[in-house]
Amino acid sequence: MSDVIRLKKLGKNYGSRRGLVDLDLSVTRGEVFGYLGPNGAGKSTTIRLLLDLIRPTSGRALVFGEEPRRHAVPLHRRIGYLAGDFVVNPRQRVDECLNFLADLRGGVPRVRITELAERLDLDLSAQIKTLSKGNRQKVGLVQAFMHRPELLILDEPTSGLDPLVQQTFLDLVREAKAGGQTTFMSSHIMSEVEAVADRVGIIRAGRLVACDTVAHLRASTLHEVEVTFTDAPPEAEIAALAGVTGLAVAGDTARFQLAGSPDGLIRLLAGHRVAALRATTPDLEQLFLAYYGTDDNAMEATRV
Amino acid sequence: MSDIMSKTLWDGRRGLGGFAVGTAAVGAMYAGFYPQVAGGAMGQAVQGFSPGLREALRMDDLASAAGYLGSSVFGIIVPLIAVSYGISAGTRAIAGDEELGYLDLLLAHPVSRTRLVLHRFAALAAGAALIAAVVWLAMLAVRPGAQLGSISPTQFAAQCVALALLTVLFGTIALAIGALTGRRAAALAGTAAVAVLSYAAQTIAGQIGADALQYLSPFHYYLAGEPLRHGFQWPDLGILTGATALFLGLAVAAFNRRDLNS
Repeated sequence: MSDVIRLKKLGKNYGSRRGLVDLDLSVTRGEVFGYLGPNGAGKSTTIRLLLDLIRPTSGRALVFGEEPRRHAVPLHRRIGYLAGDFVVNPRQRVDECLNFLADLRGGVPRVRITELAERLDLDLSAQIKTLSKGNRQKVGLVQAFMHRPELLILDEPTSGLDPLVQQTFLDLVREAKAGGQTTFMSSHIMSEVEAVADRVGIIRAGRLVACDTVAHLRASTLHEVEVTFTDAPPEAEIAALAGVTGLAVAGDTARFQLAGSPDGLIRLLAGHRVAALRATTPDLEQLFLAYYGTDDNAMEATRV
Repeated sequence: MSDIMSKTLWDGRRGLGGFAVGTAAVGAMYAGFYPQVAGGAMGQAVQGFSPGLREALRMDDLASAAGYLGSSVFGIIVPLIAVSYGISAGTRAIAGDEELGYLDLLLAHPVSRTRLVLHRFAALAAGAALIAAVVWLAMLAVRPGAQLGSISPTQFAAQCVALALLTVLFGTIALAIGALTGRRAAALAGTAAVAVLSYAAQTIAGQIGADALQYLSPFHYYLAGEPLRHGFQWPDLGILTGATALFLGLAVAAFNRRDLNS
């Protein structure tokens, strides 16, 4: 099997707090997988289970086909991890910290560290306590990428980074993918994942609510369509189309939302005289919000 | 800084240096008072105490160098400071760093939980050994001037080794409570309570007719054999070491079993 990560009915019960419920998921070699969800949905819980920082209450997780608990040390050699809240002892220099972590992995070429630091514009001689949040995050990125791990597990990797550095980060992920590395990254912002992810999983309140390629997710997104006809709009025909909702006709113009492929609509329109047609590009952010933003009760519950 | 033990020592170097110099300086200062005490001033003052109190405070033989140092310097002040270091280092070893969020990163590296506990323990033991060694050197330095010639360097060494083992034991108790709970406050308060109660047990057990109680106190095995008079007390040192090994084993087992707090 070329599954780098495989979760089977993975569950984590925190007692009163919500954890994970029957999570099934697999990530294949060389893939960039975006793991999306609101704060408290269970993203970090999943990631910490993969790294054997916590243990599942039910089901199992396999990384490179092995149990994280029984093979923690050999697995961790193959993984680069960036925590959601990357913290290290602030009373040390950046290079002191990175060299120590590199030594735990049996050493990393010095040029690799300096190359990454230069690309991210990180001063290796600075004391960590003098660094801003974004610059500390860069330290976390360097330590995750420096040994070119087969699997990158990144929890909210871009938090605190300015847009320019975010682009550098996305380049690093693309290069990792080109080099055959697998990336599992979490985020609560769709757009930053959309740019690099092959597939996206959306988690809400401990359950996976959607998991598909970006293209498929995009296809199932609602298009806002506005058609102006030269005569009366064929209201009944449009309403009968599969995937049409929220139809409103005002004079010559019909407005509605269209889910899925526009093929049927185009065939319908071909039999009429159309004066103007406007369809907004599907917004994944909207889809994402539709998956987890509407249910306020669920959002509240996850924060407890 | 190639491993966790030396990195832990390096990161804690300021605190450790402070403890080592402080313990030795305070110990040397009090040891330096011995000529006045031997002159009788302190002995006369203590004569006013009841025999029971004198025995409890080990002040029934203040005139001899070993009696004075065993009651004051190595009886209260030096172990108090050294054990404080042990508790503080042992608390930081797991629970303290866990609460600060440092352990996630370390344990996501190719580092087993057992190795982390052992390295943290080794750093604690090295720190305790350093403090004891500096105290020993300080005693040797003041020995001629403070008329402490009746105590041989070996006897000082015996007392300092016991000091190191006592410090390591309390540090390991703190480490074990931290490994079990992940709570800094629990490790700190729990171990401090054990230290205070066991010191009290050693001191007053004889007074309240509960002699058996003192055998539960680590302080008994640190001091009761009077290393300053009789040299190395191997059975006592063995018991301190054995108790440390027990708590270390407990720490490893507990830490391997539980979830890391985020």
